[in-house]
Amino acid sequence: MKQLILTATLVHLLVLVQAQPKPTNEKRADSIPEVHLEEVKVYGLTKNTNQQLLHYYRANQAATTEDILARLPELNMIRRSSYGMEPVIRTYNSGQSGLLIDGMRIHGACTDKMDPASIYVEPQNLQSVQIQTGHGFQSGSVIGGTVNMKLAEAQFDDSRKWSGSVSSGYQSAANAWYETGKLNYSGNRLAVMTNISWRKAGNYRSGGGAVIPYSQYEKLNYGITALYKLNDNWTAKADLLLDDGWNIGYPALPMDVGYAGARIAALSWRNVSRTGKWQETEYKIYANSIRHFMDDSRRINVPMHMDMPGESRTYGGYAASKLVLNRNIQLDIKADWSSTFLKASMTMYQQGQLPMYMLTWPDNNTLQSGLGAVFSKRIDSASLFRISARADVFTKSLTTQMAKDQLSVLNNPVNNIHRLLKNIAVEYNYRFSEQLKLKTILSYSERMPTSSELYGFYLFNAFDGYDYIGNTLLKPENAWKAEANISGRSGIFQYGLTGYISRINQYIMGIYQPGLSTMTIGANGVKKHTNLPYAMIAGAEASLIVQPDHSLWFINTTRYSYGEDHQQQALPMIPPVRNTSSVRKMIGPCAVQAELELATAQNRVSNKAMERKTAAYAIAHLRLMYSGSLAGNLFSIDGGVENLFDQAYREHLDWGGIRRPGRNLYLQVTYQF
Amino acid sequence: MKKFIQSPLYIIVFLSVVFLGSCTKDAVEPDAALSYIQLASGYAAGTSTHVEVYASDSAFTGYNKLYILLKDSATGKPVDRAVVTLNPTMDMTTMSHASPKENPVSITAVNHFFPCSVSFIMPSTAGKWTLGVQIQNLENGKSGTASFTINVKAPASAKMFSFKSLADNTTTFFVGLVEPSKPIVGINDLELVVYKKQSMMLFPADSSLSVIMTPEMPTMNHGSPNNVDPVHTINGHYKGKVNFTMTGFWRLNLKLKSGSTVVDSTHYIDITF
Ligand SMILES: [Cu+2]
Ligand SMILES: [Cu+2]
Repeated sequence: MKQLILTATLVHLLVLVQAQPKPTNEKRADSIPEVHLEEVKVYGLTKNTNQQLLHYYRANQAATTEDILARLPELNMIRRSSYGMEPVIRTYNSGQSGLLIDGMRIHGACTDKMDPASIYVEPQNLQSVQIQTGHGFQSGSVIGGTVNMKLAEAQFDDSRKWSGSVSSGYQSAANAWYETGKLNYSGNRLAVMTNISWRKAGNYRSGGGAVIPYSQYEKLNYGITALYKLNDNWTAKADLLLDDGWNIGYPALPMDVGYAGARIAALSWRNVSRTGKWQETEYKIYANSIRHFMDDSRRINVPMHMDMPGESRTYGGYAASKLVLNRNIQLDIKADWSSTFLKASMTMYQQGQLPMYMLTWPDNNTLQSGLGAVFSKRIDSASLFRISARADVFTKSLTTQMAKDQLSVLNNPVNNIHRLLKNIAVEYNYRFSEQLKLKTILSYSERMPTSSELYGFYLFNAFDGYDYIGNTLLKPENAWKAEANISGRSGIFQYGLTGYISRINQYIMGIYQPGLSTMTIGANGVKKHTNLPYAMIAGAEASLIVQPDHSLWFINTTRYSYGEDHQQQALPMIPPVRNTSSVRKMIGPCAVQAELELATAQNRVSNKAMERKTAAYAIAHLRLMYSGSLAGNLFSIDGGVENLFDQAYREHLDWGGIRRPGRNLYLQVTYQF
Repeated sequence: MKKFIQSPLYIIVFLSVVFLGSCTKDAVEPDAALSYIQLASGYAAGTSTHVEVYASDSAFTGYNKLYILLKDSATGKPVDRAVVTLNPTMDMTTMSHASPKENPVSITAVNHFFPCSVSFIMPSTAGKWTLGVQIQNLENGKSGTASFTINVKAPASAKMFSFKSLADNTTTFFVGLVEPSKPIVGINDLELVVYKKQSMMLFPADSSLSVIMTPEMPTMNHGSPNNVDPVHTINGHYKGKVNFTMTGFWRLNLKLKSGSTVVDSTHYIDITF
């Protein structure tokens, strides 16, 4: 309640200040294309490179959102299935970083993390990906950073009232179909875009020929988004995004999904003017509901069948604006609020007995309100100084007596948890020349323990084979992080190099409890989420883009990660050195693209997590693109072979030792009108 | 917010229920909310008193909580002061025996009821149970006895067992489950009663044992954390905690010791909910 009042007050404050007469500043208006103003919009380090990579890899119409995200150097994908790969920033886990859709918080409804929010965004409704690492807490108290997947918007087009596209494709490795359709209406003040995409895949064939059972899936994603121009400055936007999945297999987990559905809705008001004191003001309210039905009914040789449904409901809103004091000083403010309800249960069936029922996520609610601000000051033509700060108030509560009763079995306090989280970062940018820029960030951030970490009740983790129990006495993690980036452009070369190191105090990890008996039949034991003194996470990312002329690109990204706990032992889920190269040559209406993915072996693994080692691999892809016109409209064909040499390989973050798809021939035909 | 709404509301609802409940009727009938069922009723000859025996369930082999309601036969008004003594006996044609019991601890009724207990040690299929309720009505000064035939059923899973002590191979003990009567997923009060068979007619409460209780779900082969072994409190009652992590079929394995000597470790009590 207190938080609600706090947020409401903040929003009001913002509106009040907003309503004040705006002094015009002709001089400033002239100087809009200032680089530093642009940069504030995206707090991350390598925005330019990232958007270029995104743009480059999206050119392949057959690519999934996950394929695209996997190419971004800051992101790693945790794979439990060919569907629903979980994007994480660097090697921070999902609890340590934020994954937002258009600024909205969406919590998965699966206790096993089968449903990261990224599955609800198909390439055709993805506009851009904003990754914030250095000041990653601007959209939430996180220590790893934030990924925001911006949704595509309806387009105003003076020349055409109706436009759209249809696309159809096939992939051989999983005998998979991918069909999409998109329709855009552009009126005078109103623009509406609707899109639909359908994917259906069978069990895929891995490198070397073995078919991976339970890797099938089917999903339908559809939505409608509308923009309405209220006046010259203000635009209202409405989004409705729906996603249904059926019969989704998770080969690395003991369970699959019968049905999963997401309903996501948002309303926002945006000021598009770039004059006046307050600019780019946005208000947004949103709601989403996820339902997830996990079961093992299709598995054979299961000792006991069980159903594990889960649900998640989130309401939230935010107000954001930019206060431009003068051409050298500006302040970005965001106040946000969200409330997330989670519940998941497990019912086990044994012939001749009453069903066994328990809550795996005892009904719980997270109420969060936060206020963040970024103060930027240009000192001189070469240097920029920035301070970011954010505070979050959290209340976590168990909402039913049953939830409290059940959790008290673990001797945990079951009363409400209140926490105030604090974050601050200082950044200094220096431009040596047009060819060389330096950016350094030092930050302190905190993050709230997740509902699973606090309340999880014997959640089986297929990665290490332990049942995990929550701990309501967990303290928030806090992290000190230093990050430096040099980037530049020289002739046909564009390069970036980032290094980061962080020390995470109160590091949350599962610790084996020898005295407790497992719940899951066959589990190795029980682990309890515990604050460890600290852990270290460090790494580096490098990217090189070479573009000799408009018909040739060469892209190379390399990433390296390192992690250790307070006993100098390896953290789990740390990928080895990985390098991706891609070269694209345009020949008339065609393009040829060759890609090479390399990874060294990962032999430095976590024994505590019973992590397996991963061998080095090299795989190659070959892609062909053609775009021509048909009846005056754009027509394109994308085809190619992925894993050209049919390598049997797996990446280090793939669970369960499951091999990735083998040679995959694909063809996607797209027609735009 | 939640606290603010809940606590006054609770109190108001609670008070109004209590208030209305006590005003509208004289609670001669058992409180509907407690949903007692009547096991038997009849007159105690020469006492001008009608005796009614209630329980929360029909009688079963094991520890039965009983509630005796006495009414003045002329006015129908409850008799709240009386000395009540129970005499359960089982007639097995060749022999007869009594069973462990707990007479009401007070001569004053609680909400018009005299709480007491009988631990039927066999089902009625083995013989005929008679429950003698001897009363001394302190309101009219008359004494007498009412006798009832009680049909005792064997529950689906045993709520009481007996064993011969491994220490001397002669003493027979009876162990019965009192709580949890309404098990939940969570922490449950665990209460056991222990009686010693001194003779066919005498079953005194025993406080000499120590109990180690280990719950398990035999179907899944797991237990539960943070249980508290029951320890003796009073009159043969042993209290502890049993934790259930899910609904279903649970088994409470019991190990009973006298000092350091294990006197029995082969028995268990099953609870399914
Ligand atoms: Cu799931
Ligand atoms: Cu169980």
